[in-house]
Order: sequence, then C-alpha cells, then structure tokens
Amino acid sequence: MTSLTSAVRTSATGPSTKKRATRVRSSAARAMPAYYWMVWPAVIAFAAFHTIPVLVGIFFSFTNYAGYGEWNFVGMANYLALFKDDRVLQSYGFSFLFAIVATILTNAISLTIAMGLNAKIKARNFWRGVYFVPYVLAILVIGYVFQFLFSNSLPKILSGIPLFRDNILTNPDFAWTAIVGLAVWQACAFSIIIYLSGLQTIPSELYEAASLDGASSWRQFTSITFPLIGAFFTINVVLSLKGFLQVFDPIIALTNGGPGTSTESVTLLIFRGGFSGGEFAYQTANAVIFFIVITIVSLLQFRVLQRREADY
Amino acid sequence: MKMRHRTTVKTVAVLATASLTIGLSGCASGPADGVTTLSFFQFKGEALEDFAQIISDFEAQNPDIRVVQNQVADSETAIRTLLVKDKTPDVITLNANGNFGRLAQAGVFYDFSDEPVLETINPAVQNILAELGNKTGEINGLGYVNNANGVIYNRAIFEEQGLDVPETWDEFIAVCDALQTAGIQPFYGTLADSWTGMPSWNALGAYPTQDGFFDEMREEGEDVGADSPVSFEKDFADVMAKQAQLFSYMQDGYRGRTYDDGNAAFANGEAAMLLQGIWALSPVKGINPDIDAAIFPYPAADDPADRLLVTGVDVVVTMARETPHREEALRFIDYLFEVGVIEEFAASQTMVPSVVGAEISDDPALQSVKPFFDSGQITGFIDHQVPPSIPLVAVVQQSLFDGDAAGALATLDSEWRKVAARTIPVTGEDQ
Repeated sequence: MTSLTSAVRTSATGPSTKKRATRVRSSAARAMPAYYWMVWPAVIAFAAFHTIPVLVGIFFSFTNYAGYGEWNFVGMANYLALFKDDRVLQSYGFSFLFAIVATILTNAISLTIAMGLNAKIKARNFWRGVYFVPYVLAILVIGYVFQFLFSNSLPKILSGIPLFRDNILTNPDFAWTAIVGLAVWQACAFSIIIYLSGLQTIPSELYEAASLDGASSWRQFTSITFPLIGAFFTINVVLSLKGFLQVFDPIIALTNGGPGTSTESVTLLIFRGGFSGGEFAYQTANAVIFFIVITIVSLLQFRVLQRREADY
Repeated sequence: MKMRHRTTVKTVAVLATASLTIGLSGCASGPADGVTTLSFFQFKGEALEDFAQIISDFEAQNPDIRVVQNQVADSETAIRTLLVKDKTPDVITLNANGNFGRLAQAGVFYDFSDEPVLETINPAVQNILAELGNKTGEINGLGYVNNANGVIYNRAIFEEQGLDVPETWDEFIAVCDALQTAGIQPFYGTLADSWTGMPSWNALGAYPTQDGFFDEMREEGEDVGADSPVSFEKDFADVMAKQAQLFSYMQDGYRGRTYDDGNAAFANGEAAMLLQGIWALSPVKGINPDIDAAIFPYPAADDPADRLLVTGVDVVVTMARETPHREEALRFIDYLFEVGVIEEFAASQTMVPSVVGAEISDDPALQSVKPFFDSGQITGFIDHQVPPSIPLVAVVQQSLFDGDAAGALATLDSEWRKVAARTIPVTGEDQ
C-alpha cells in the first residue's frame, strides 16, 4: 500500500514536471546516446517500484483478493460498493475539507513570513534557519510532541476554555482543527523556502520605480510582488493541496482517525481497511479512485492558476 | 577509435543496467554449514525476554538449529505484509483473534491435525480457536496460553473498606458507590487509547451473544437492522447502558489518559479497579511488585451462577504451510509445549497454560479466575466475531465520549450491512 500511495504521489506530480519541461526545450536536434543510457537505470527502477505495483494494484481492484490466499474476479463490484459506502464518502469529505483549509492557511502564513524574512531585518539568516526547523524534524516526532501538548499541557494552560480543557483531540467536531494546526505548522517551513526564492527573483528596481511613482506598500504587493511570484504560488498551492489530500502521519500521531471515525482521511482508510481490515482489493479500488481524483484536481489547478501567472 | 570508445561506454551502461535489474530480483540463500535457521515471528513485546530464554535453552539442546526471534510491533499488519510477499516465517506466534481465524481459513498455515503435540492441549482451548476459524477439516493453530478479561481490583483496598467481590450487577454498582463515598476512585479510565474501551464492551457483550448471536448476524447479512431478529440496535442497548454506567465512575480527565497512565495509577493505589484484562497485571507489577490484585468477571447477570468470564487464546503457535524447515520447526514447537517450558512462560506472563497437566501459578489473580476455568463459565471475546473492516473500537470509544449509544449501534448495524453486501466469498480453487 505504501508503494501505491507513493505511486499516486509521483503520478500526481507528473503534470508539473511535464509542463515545466516543455518550456525549456533544448536547441540541439538529438541528444548524445550517453544521455539515454543515463536515463535507463532510472526508468527501470521507476517501473519496478512504481509503475508495475500500480498496475498490479489496479488489477487486484477487480478481484476479491484479501492480500493473501485465493481470489476470484468480481468485476466492478468493489467500485460500485465504494460509492455506496458512507464511511468512504465521509473520508473524502474530511480529506477535502482538511486539504482546502490547510492549503489556504499554509500559503497565507508562509507568504507573510517569507516577505518578512526577505526584508532587511536583523539576524535575517538566523530567522530563516529557525523557520526551516519544522521541516527537518520528523513529523511523527513532532506529532507526539503536539499530542502531549493537546492532551496534557493545553488542558491545564487553557482550563477556562471548555474545548481545550476536555482535550480538543477527543472532540469529534473540532479534532480536525488540531490536525490542521500541526500540518500547517510543519508545511509552512517548505513553502516559506519556495516563496523566499521567488521573492529573490524580483529585481529591486521595480520597487524603486514604484515607490518613486508613489505606490503604497499594499499596491506594491498586489501589482508587483504577487504577480511576479505567480509561478511559485502555483507550485506551492498545487503541492500543498496534493500533499494535504494525502494526509496520513499527523493523523496517526494525533488522533489515529478518532474519535470515532471523525478524522479518518482517505489514505488512513485505505491503509486501515486494506491491511488491518483485510479488505485489500476493496481499498485498492478506493486507492485507484483517489489517484484519479488527485490527478484531476492537480490538472485543474494548473489550468486555473497558470492562466494568471505574469512574466516580466 | 571513436567507435570503440562508444562501444565501451555502451557496454558499461548495459552492464550497469543489467546488474541493477538483477539486484532487484536478487535473493539470498542460506549458507550450507549444517545449521538450520528458523525465523520466529513473535508478536508480544512483553514476552521478548521469556522467548529469548526459551530459545537459548532450545539451541543449547539442539545445536543444529538456530532460532531468530523477530519481535514486531504491529504484528497483524506485519504478518499480512509478509504473506503478501510470500515470505511466511517458519514459526509464528499471534494473538488468536478474528484476524488469525481469517488467515487460518485462507489456508496459509500448517495443518497440525496429525501432530502428536496436539494431543497434549486442553480441547476447550482448541475449541475457542476452532470458533475463530480453520481451513475446512484442518487444525491450523495450537493454543499456547490463555488470558482472562475481567475487572482487576485491588484486594487491599477492598479489604480496608470491608467490600466483597460483587456477584450481581446491583452489588457491583453498590461497590462503586461505596468507594466513591469513601473518597476512593472506583475506576481509572484511559480512553486516550481507544482500545481500552473494548475489554468492558467484550465482557458485557458476552451475555446477550451466548445463543449464536453472531451466527444469526452472519446469516442475516445485508438485512441486519433495528427490525431484524437480531442486531446490535436490538440486543446491545443494555450493554451500552451498562458500559456507560461504569464509565460514569471514571476519574476527571479520563479521556486524555493512556493505558500506561492507568496501570501506573492502579499500581500506586490511586484507583480501586481497572476495566482491563489480566494482561495489564504484568505492567502493573512492573511498577509495584507488591500490589495485591485479583480479577472478578463482570457480573452483568442477576444470578451469580450465570456469571461469565471472557477468555481468549492470548498466544497461538503456528507455522508456515510450506516451509523447507518443517522438521526443525516442529521440533521447536514440541519444545515450546513441554510442560516445564510452558508452565514457566505462563507464570511469567500471568497467563493460563493450555497444556493438560501444566499447573497454573499461585498468583492470586490467576487463582481468582481458576474456578471459572474449572467450572466452564468461560466464553470468547466477541469482538473477534466482528469483521475487522468495521471500525468497532472507534465507534465504541466515540459512544463513550458523546453518550450517543443509539447512534453507535446504528452505525455498527449499517457497517455490518455494508461489509456483508460487498464481501464476495472466494469460490473454489479457480484463480
């Protein structure tokens, strides 16, 4: 299943690399054969570890295979059952709600921080280092730190607020906000780096000219900064949304899908139902659907977002 | 010159590519020095040292066999992954739950029907395994040690307060009230670990499910619901009410406490009872070796004679169906089931040994459940009968959080219907 989800991940980022590649087309008519030989090992490894497992997975989604033992073909039965399963639909609802909220928060917060880190502040490199730390830490490690925070520290610190006093992680309606908090906290680090590199591509003459013309800071942001980092905004939004749709580790660390099934994401359901639940084929069908959904979402985002990117 | 250079590059590249491909499919085979290495899949973290001791004794007697113990954290996922990869370990211990039954039914384990070691095991224990499932006509597992799932209580506190072991539900509630009045915490709840809601659910749910409840549920399949002859909504309202009643005696903040917190609190005398099985006594004694703790069954009946003790095969021993080391694996298994070996293991793990003639240790907790084993007032864990694709643990936990028992039971019935509808049984040998 791990190979499947990562296969989904790789395939979903496929469009991004393809789109970028067409832009920088080599002028030479034909590449040297050595380049082809450099590519072959990677192609074979990719096929062995990604493409073939994906195809095998798709094949088994049309059977009643439990992951071991004997099996028969069952046609489309798994796919039909998926659409009738409210637990599956609920997990899609959770994943999308989570991904959209987390994507908006991550990009808003990290763009703000990146602009601060790009300004001439004191100890700039120190602050850049500090904001990158969450990316270096293993998500499960900080996950358990956050879990302790939510279940032991916050109930004491914020004992006046019932939501936190009773451990927000055990609240079926609000546990997901705690997961969003952890995921955004961690995801911001990488987004900040991308935004920072974007901000550094903007020539400072543009700002000088704008300030001579009397443009306010807000006007400079909306007319210069934001349009010129459009490509970076696109890649950040697409990568965040795709990453958050596949949310898994923060949930394992914080709520394990609970209370009840209220924070069960699609990936968690696929993993649980497929392995602990013994419904390998059924959840593989779910994974195939999820793969298609993520691909469509990513493609749509590229179409919409790339249209409004500016070049100078 | 140019041409030759090119060919060299090409050859090197082809070789590199080929070696990579071979590397992917490569597989190591064991050395032929006369020593057979058995891989021993072991699921129980707390039994790691006991098994290490058994293995070193066994290796001393059998110098031609080396046993490698692989203790895994998430055994059920791990064994499935190994099975998917066709890398079944030689000798396997597992917890005998519903998953084990399904694996056995799929025919991935060895058939012990004709092995002499089977004769030494208590038939009642093998019956519990048979209820979980075997491949038709076979016996795919050997019960090793049994646990007991009751209420753990601190005998010193009960004695101090002049309380007797409750034998009916009203007495049970009276004990809780008396403890609360005396300023003693009756139970210590640990719902941050969702599974800790299950021991009490299993024990209370054992009562309404005695007469083939789950057989009927499986027969009804897609028709299970409030109006069907049996269903969770119909038969479990009382179970959920009783469980909620017990959880109303929990300490403040029990939602955020973990299993380990509960064991520590009970060991230090902060609570009089734990809604946990006998397996919790091992960690409790790790914290306070002098604690005087014993177990009584959940008295969810009006007549003391109707009380039931829930017990499961905590460790089942089995082996791969197709193993090249069949003889050696069987020799190791025979050694595991020798009376002296199993007695020592069971005593160390505070469990009931399965071999006929092996003595139960004189631990007060084990002695307190012995009468129920002797009189046959025992029954299996009911959650083993629920398909694992139903999020039972999560649903029970949520109902204890929000108090919506009716909603929880409706969810269980609806999940049961859905699983029944989408499960298409494997037919015949056709692949």
